[in-house]
Amino acid sequence: MNSVDDLVTIVRDEIGLPITPADAGLPLAELIGWDSVHLLALCVILERETAQTISLPAVLEAETLQAIYEVAVGAGIH
Amino acid sequence: MVTPAGIRGPQPNPNAATTPDLLTLHHTGQLVRHYPAVRGLLADLSGEQLTRAGRLLARLDPDEILTSHPDTPTLTVAVVGHGTLGGLVAPLTAQLARHGILARVRLGDFDSYVPDLADPASALYAARPDLVLCVLDPEVIWDEVPVPWRPADVEQVWAEKLALLESLVRQFEGAGHGTLVLNTIPLPRLYPAQLIDHASRARLAALWREANARLLRLGEHHPALVVLDVDPLLGEGLPVRDSRMSVYAKAHLSAGLLDAYATEIGPLACALIGRIRKVLALDLDGTLWGGILGDDGAEGIDVGPGFRRFQQVLRQLGAQGVLLAAVSKNDVEPVRGVLTDHPDMVLRESDLVRVIANWHPKHENLRHLAADLNLGVDSIVFVDDSPYERGLVRHEEPHVAVVALDEEPARHVEALLADGWFDVRLLTDEDAERPARYRAEAERRDFLHSFDSLEGYLRELGVQVLLEPAAQAQIPRIAQITLRTNQFNLTGERLQPAAVAALAQDPNALVLGIRAADRFGDNGLSGAVLAHRADGAIHIDNFLLSCRVFARGIEQACLSAVLRHARDTGADAVLARYRETPKNGKVRDFYPRSGFVPVDAPAAAGLVFRHDLAEIPAVPAHVRLTAQFAGDTAPVPADTARVRAGEEKA
Repeated sequence: MNSVDDLVTIVRDEIGLPITPADAGLPLAELIGWDSVHLLALCVILERETAQTISLPAVLEAETLQAIYEVAVGAGIH
Repeated sequence: MVTPAGIRGPQPNPNAATTPDLLTLHHTGQLVRHYPAVRGLLADLSGEQLTRAGRLLARLDPDEILTSHPDTPTLTVAVVGHGTLGGLVAPLTAQLARHGILARVRLGDFDSYVPDLADPASALYAARPDLVLCVLDPEVIWDEVPVPWRPADVEQVWAEKLALLESLVRQFEGAGHGTLVLNTIPLPRLYPAQLIDHASRARLAALWREANARLLRLGEHHPALVVLDVDPLLGEGLPVRDSRMSVYAKAHLSAGLLDAYATEIGPLACALIGRIRKVLALDLDGTLWGGILGDDGAEGIDVGPGFRRFQQVLRQLGAQGVLLAAVSKNDVEPVRGVLTDHPDMVLRESDLVRVIANWHPKHENLRHLAADLNLGVDSIVFVDDSPYERGLVRHEEPHVAVVALDEEPARHVEALLADGWFDVRLLTDEDAERPARYRAEAERRDFLHSFDSLEGYLRELGVQVLLEPAAQAQIPRIAQITLRTNQFNLTGERLQPAAVAALAQDPNALVLGIRAADRFGDNGLSGAVLAHRADGAIHIDNFLLSCRVFARGIEQACLSAVLRHARDTGADAVLARYRETPKNGKVRDFYPRSGFVPVDAPAAAGLVFRHDLAEIPAVPAHVRLTAQFAGDTAPVPADTARVRAGEEKA
């Protein structure tokens, strides 16, 4: 995963939400079709994609896709 | 990176390559338009791939799909429980779609199962779900166990929960609609491991299992309840839980376990809407035995332990009413030779309702098999080790369920049983007799061909019919008739056993069973008339007859009896309803042909017909009918007693 755009692609293709890279900074609740349940699925997918363990509490506290991306790519130094 | 390959559908035939894969349909916004193709695209997916597909499908609006494809079977499924259960929505949506059912999934609020099920005015009951999945996880118990704890503390919490669950089941049944699913609660190792002495661990393990056993037994007393045992799912090596998900997100069951749970719900959903598979069509070379009979000869084929184990399971299914048939590219004589004489075979010709061995394409043979058994091709499950044959059948007959076997016969059993293709709510006495009755049907057909006219045949067939109120023990079978019968089903309405039992208790309702027999044997309880009295008339709510026995005058005889009973008991008319379904077109004229006239313009609820009881059609001359209604005490003629005796023996 090289940029937050890759995370947006994952959300589009795996969760099915019709979002664009411009939405990465929006509060999650404002994303069309967002549900907190998606966060759990996203955690599992991100760990698969990055082959790293991600801090679940940190992802659960993230408020935007950008913040989730930063948790995910920062996982290596946790 | 993300690759779409995981959710690309199978493309077994070059001609099928025109169907885009699921992700392409999602990207281009065409999933709704192409929804009927989704089932085929999911056919070979499992586990994580299927869940991915389910997440995309769960985003679709069921109403939009129904607007474009109004015949799509739909089921409203409510998911409630103690923990976070959002992870069940995607696999559940995908599993039902795999079986051709559109799921309207309604996810309850977090930990809301008690108020949802206890309050008749809850949003759960307001949604009138067909299926309520109350998913129980270990924390249902452990959240209430004090720290520190002893096994006796756990025992007390379990006792309270069992009492609570039973009261919720009663509330659910009182609400009078749908089926409730509970599950046994697994015991993750982290709890017994907190006890440092083996004696206490053994005590905890024993009381935990006893409590689960009591939960399973609840199903025996509550017809609207199904209790799913998760132990066999965990026995396949699934983790019960993911500690992080449980601790941080209150999702107490692992994704793998929720996937397996959803897989079990798919066949239950099929059974609830009456989409029941009845026939298991078996390839032979590579499936029942190893090698090629045509090349290797009977002495050269391999009927080793893997194949014999598979054949034992086939006999086990056949004994419960699954119709086994062979569909093979072979000459028929050598096939019959192996089925009759091969010393290592477990399955014999007498276990099969038909043996079709020829060189026609298999999809054509499956069509003929379905027509011959008077069933739809959608009642067939086809099993083959050849990817070519499977691909062809899937392409030509997409409604046939196709099971893939590989070259390792030791895995055949697991492949066949991975989906509960033939799952039903309850087995009835009729089920065990079914294969023999279908074989007798072939003899009847040979007998028919020896007559010049149908009338001559019917006269010699010696049809006896007994129409009488269903006894308590027959209620499961009456429910099963409403669930299994598609063609001679005047309204397509399905009734679960609890609903039939309620009708049978209603003094204004008539729940009549139809039993038939002829010179070839007893057909058993083969049909039903459901009616009620209101406003001086008898209203026939539904009329059903097994496809094995219709067009022999049985339906005319029973309708005549109901009309006569209405007149004799002072009714001024009989009203009856026909509602068209995809499969019951051939009985559209059943009521008009018997003197009924339409009283309403066609409506969504169907056509309503009225018979004024002035001229009641006669019972066909070749049928010997005995009709009894509640309160009748007329002696039963000797012939009828025989029909009934045969019934009870069956």
